[in-house]
Amino acid sequence: MPPTDLSTVRRPTATANGLPNAHYTDAGVFAEERQAVLFDSWAGLAVGADVPEAGDAKPITFMDMPLLLVRDSAGTLRVFQNICRHRGMILVEVPRKIEGAIRCPYHSWCYSTSGKLVSTPHVGGPGRNTHEGIDKNLLGLIEVRSHVWMDVVWINISGTAPPFEQANADLLARWAEFNVPLHHGGADSRFELEVNCNWKLAVENYCESYHLPWVHPGLNSYSRLEDHYHIEQPGAFSGQGTLVYRQLKDENGKSFADFADLSSKWDTAAEYVTAYPNVLLGVHRDHAFAIILAPQGPERTVEHVHLYYAAAGTDAELRARNTAQWKEVFEEDIFVVEGMQRGRHAAGFDGGRFSAVMDGPTHMFHDWVASRLERYRAAPLAAE
Amino acid sequence: MSDLDAQLLAAHNARDHAALIGLYAQAATAAPDLDTACFFLTHAYVFALEQGDTRATALRAQLVRHGRETAD
Repeated sequence: MPPTDLSTVRRPTATANGLPNAHYTDAGVFAEERQAVLFDSWAGLAVGADVPEAGDAKPITFMDMPLLLVRDSAGTLRVFQNICRHRGMILVEVPRKIEGAIRCPYHSWCYSTSGKLVSTPHVGGPGRNTHEGIDKNLLGLIEVRSHVWMDVVWINISGTAPPFEQANADLLARWAEFNVPLHHGGADSRFELEVNCNWKLAVENYCESYHLPWVHPGLNSYSRLEDHYHIEQPGAFSGQGTLVYRQLKDENGKSFADFADLSSKWDTAAEYVTAYPNVLLGVHRDHAFAIILAPQGPERTVEHVHLYYAAAGTDAELRARNTAQWKEVFEEDIFVVEGMQRGRHAAGFDGGRFSAVMDGPTHMFHDWVASRLERYRAAPLAAE
Repeated sequence: MSDLDAQLLAAHNARDHAALIGLYAQAATAAPDLDTACFFLTHAYVFALEQGDTRATALRAQLVRHGRETAD
């Protein structure tokens, strides 16, 4: 299949089209975006709360690549390729605690939790664990570049992206007030949604407030469309904010504690952005959330949702209500993203047209995806 | 099959890696020659290493002493 035509995607919002159908349905384009959009960027993989203690390890397959999230014995979070340097065997099959070393189940090569190759049993023959051809210093686990912010574990698989703080400088500055310890609410504050759509449709829906009064009428009762504003940072993130965030309260009028030292803007504001490519974030005075989109193929995505608070030990009942409230909202979006996915099988659909007034943040994401693909497609030519 | 062989097999089948450390160390002690001893010591060491068992240090030291493992 020839490369898709992205020229109309990159027009101004008022005259642009959305990404062509193939970007939602075609395995070849999915593979192209794997490299251009996800591996070459800082993509969300997991959260630090997935491996809270030293030695915790969690295997995660990201876009078919086997990875291993580990908190090493010194407490540093690391991401490795989940394969032995000997025969490429998968090292860890299920989440578990590494008590000492990561032992390959095949020939028992052993690695420390910081990735160092510690022992190569019988590599020089029975009972001889060294050989001149094996330099253990050169055969540690292959580490994937990673960074933790907002407790999200971001990875740059290609290793070619600018440093995380540079690539996401504008978002870090915008939300500098939330650069504080975030406390995961625990087992009752995490859930997954499996949706039959391309991961980009979840981003596109999340970025705009246009759909709120139609899809989330419950929110509209107090947070009307006109109370929302666009958040647009070309090349980095986009989304929406509200001016009328109202805290959840229990029967005694008690709410979650606020994050410390927030400016007055946050008394009633809340913001929801997609940090490109695949992390949906929300911040409020008293809680935050992260949704990591895990693409499972062109037409299937798992949304990993995590809620955070300003302090540990929040009220369990109120926390459960908050989780339930957000789950309801996110579930209300499922028929939309799955409906758009089915719509992408309509031959001849031109990618759609945008509202120049309401769809700017969504088109900004399309434009960014197109820009990454154009850059990727041009790279081999530049190298010649 | 010797009693030790049977115990090793049972520990493997039960995935009792903690027991395997001691059993392989015993097998090393009973081995007829150095190569066989180092084979069993290697297994004891690997299972100790995997589990963060304190015996790993001494087992490694034995292997190093016999030139079968690097010192660091």
